Amino acid sequence: MLYIELFIQGLIQGSTYAIIAVGLTLVYGLLRVLHVAHAGLFTLGAYLGVVVTNQTGSLAAGILLAAIGSGVVGMAIYRLVYEPILNRPPHVALIASIGLYIGMEELFRLVFGPFGLSFASAPLQSVVIFFDIHLRTCQIVTMITNILLLGILAWISQRTRIGIGWRATVDDPEISACFGIDPVRVRYLVFFMGSALAAVAGVLVALLSNFVEPTMGAVPSYKSLAIIVLGGLGNVTGTLIASLALGIIEAFGTIYIGNFLDRDAIAFAFLIVVLMIKPTGLFASR
Amino acid sequence: MGLYEISLATVVGINIILAVSLNLITGYCGQISLGHAAFYGIGAYTAALLAKIGWPIYLTLGAGFFLAGIAGAVIGLTSLRVREDFLAIVTMGVAFLFVGIVRQQEFLGGEMGISGIPSPGMTKPAYLCLVLIIALLAILFSWYVKRSWMGYAFDAVADDEQTAKTLGLDIKSYKITAFAMGTAMAGLAGGLYAYYTRFIIPDAFGFIQSITILSMVAVGGIGSIFGVVLATIFLSLMPEIFRFINDYKLLLYGILLFSVMRFAPDGLAGFYKLLYKKRNLR
Amino acid sequence: MTAILLADSVTVKFGGLTALDNVHFSVEEGEFLSLIGPNGAGKTTLLNAITGVVAPVSASLKLGGNDISNLPTYKRIRMGLALTHQIVRPFTSMTVLENVAFAAGFKKVKRILSSLVTFNRMPEKKKAAQFLEIVGIDEYRDQEVFKLPLGVLKRLEVARALAVEPKILLLDEPLAGLNSQEAGKLADTIKGISKLGMTVVMIEHNLSEVLRISDRLHVLDNGRDLAEGEPKSVMKMPQVRAAYLGG
Repeated sequence: MLYIELFIQGLIQGSTYAIIAVGLTLVYGLLRVLHVAHAGLFTLGAYLGVVVTNQTGSLAAGILLAAIGSGVVGMAIYRLVYEPILNRPPHVALIASIGLYIGMEELFRLVFGPFGLSFASAPLQSVVIFFDIHLRTCQIVTMITNILLLGILAWISQRTRIGIGWRATVDDPEISACFGIDPVRVRYLVFFMGSALAAVAGVLVALLSNFVEPTMGAVPSYKSLAIIVLGGLGNVTGTLIASLALGIIEAFGTIYIGNFLDRDAIAFAFLIVVLMIKPTGLFASR
Repeated sequence: MGLYEISLATVVGINIILAVSLNLITGYCGQISLGHAAFYGIGAYTAALLAKIGWPIYLTLGAGFFLAGIAGAVIGLTSLRVREDFLAIVTMGVAFLFVGIVRQQEFLGGEMGISGIPSPGMTKPAYLCLVLIIALLAILFSWYVKRSWMGYAFDAVADDEQTAKTLGLDIKSYKITAFAMGTAMAGLAGGLYAYYTRFIIPDAFGFIQSITILSMVAVGGIGSIFGVVLATIFLSLMPEIFRFINDYKLLLYGILLFSVMRFAPDGLAGFYKLLYKKRNLR
Repeated sequence: MTAILLADSVTVKFGGLTALDNVHFSVEEGEFLSLIGPNGAGKTTLLNAITGVVAPVSASLKLGGNDISNLPTYKRIRMGLALTHQIVRPFTSMTVLENVAFAAGFKKVKRILSSLVTFNRMPEKKKAAQFLEIVGIDEYRDQEVFKLPLGVLKRLEVARALAVEPKILLLDEPLAGLNSQEAGKLADTIKGISKLGMTVVMIEHNLSEVLRISDRLHVLDNGRDLAEGEPKSVMKMPQVRAAYLGG
């Protein structure tokens, strides 16, 4: 039973990684930029979610406003940070993004205080037991929300004009422009969506630990970077699979190699092992 | 010169060696490394452990230098097989793995690190001189490489690896060489750091430190020794200059990094070139 | 007559797509061979397979009698190949002269340790100036490559390729993007190099220039050999005309 519980924990964690990493891999696919500041939007979402929920008493409002808020900030980041430096060598965007993330972390600390925030009364904390497995309601909600969001994302990208447009732009921006798809609109859309998803992940993580602090985005950010490489930079399906795989490996790995390696370093150990065997990553990237 | 100033200058000197060493890899050869601090750490731990069992300073520093260089060559061999885009993240992985593994090893002191590292056997001012001499040697070596045909080859690799291949260049060997030279130097800096602080912990050699070193190179202007040294001095002294706004230190640092990349991506070196050109136009 | 380059059974696949199917291709020493065919025929892929930029599913490649099939690109270059790119790729941090001088110094960067102790760039710069003269762009020698016109950059590609002292010059669409006057002049320059004894293999779409300066043609269509032989007779072949005109 322990194994099954670990497996489910792994899936839940993995699904959270997935909705964070999706935005990151799409941004990379579009702009060839490692958007490290994405982690800041995750944290922003968590803060917004907690603050709004505490003010209004409604978790739904919290999640919604967190998503929208982060989405807008994400778009602003594209316009103010990345757009002007797209022609520069890659290290420029990377370091600008890192500087931005550090700034965001510090802003959170200065605005919300270094000691963290919690929900006034944390919702969804009751424990559900089935088949001897203990899960909190918020964990189940996390799982369901993530699956729902990913499903909606998949539906949009396969079935709607907007979605097909962004897939085409990621594949080949010049040709898609010939078909009347505005690459700039696609970029704003990707930044909005990716940031909104990260924000929702932030609120869900806040629910799980009932704690939001300025540096909480750092570790998920690093792991997401490893995940998107594993999944194939720009490859959404690969990223999803890599996210789930990592969640499960971490869940089991802590038990087996916890005395050799820190849990958070497992992501990178996994990455390096895979790359040594297959230098192109688990899946081919674009 | 008071004890405090000597201390500060020693740190600046060590940082210069670190920044110049990363400049070899990233600036000259164009390979982005986000894990440079791991090699700094390898040098520090090697020197610390050997010093504690009684080895003299020049041997411990030398051991740190070589071990870090060999580690760089090995990691270079594996990570340079992957696509350029991946390299940044793989080196990031190296940074995390180093800390992650060292923290779990008892013989390396675990999370608490290694304390009680013996003194270098010289006065503080004399030690400062040692550090500054090594820093100067590092700068001279970089300048030397730049002028040599190896530097010429690095330029080609940094510009366009694929084209360099079609001109007969064995880019793999050159990349690994740049890597190993840079990591060896970082290892030397690590040893110097260990003798300076007399106490090292794994977290001092993690990703954040790697970013700090990279930002010194980026703000200075990738590839320009002069710019890198200047930026290092400024960034190392910044926490002291801005001590009165201690609480906003990191925020300013983030803003600085971001602003330089956004508005002056060629760093201090680019800025200097601009001034130079303007003067010539008069 | 010795075949200086022999490419046999060259098959290249990209995923499910077969770019080259059992192509056979040979070049005699000193001749000027043009590789032609409609768009997508696989011409650049063939050159890439020969230089090793692309890994074929199968190929037997011999340069001057030596098997180069399993060598990495840089080693094949050192055995006597040189390549120019369809889309120009000058080193952007260097001036025109420095670009060619680097190529001219290919012996000095062969061994890592010796490259570290070698400084003198003057002999290579002198040689580079000569190559720039051959292609007619020595007036640009000290300029940064950033804002130079395409005609100059195309010639730079050729000068740089010459500087590695190859046995065979592989040119990928050297005239693409040039107006008819520039194209004619560059074609003359290339023919001049060929007359000095250099073996040249050229991919080109500009058929009037091709017919004017080539000794022999090799036609590819859809990844397969279609025809080869003397230019005028090849262009009269019905299958070649059909491939170009459609149908």
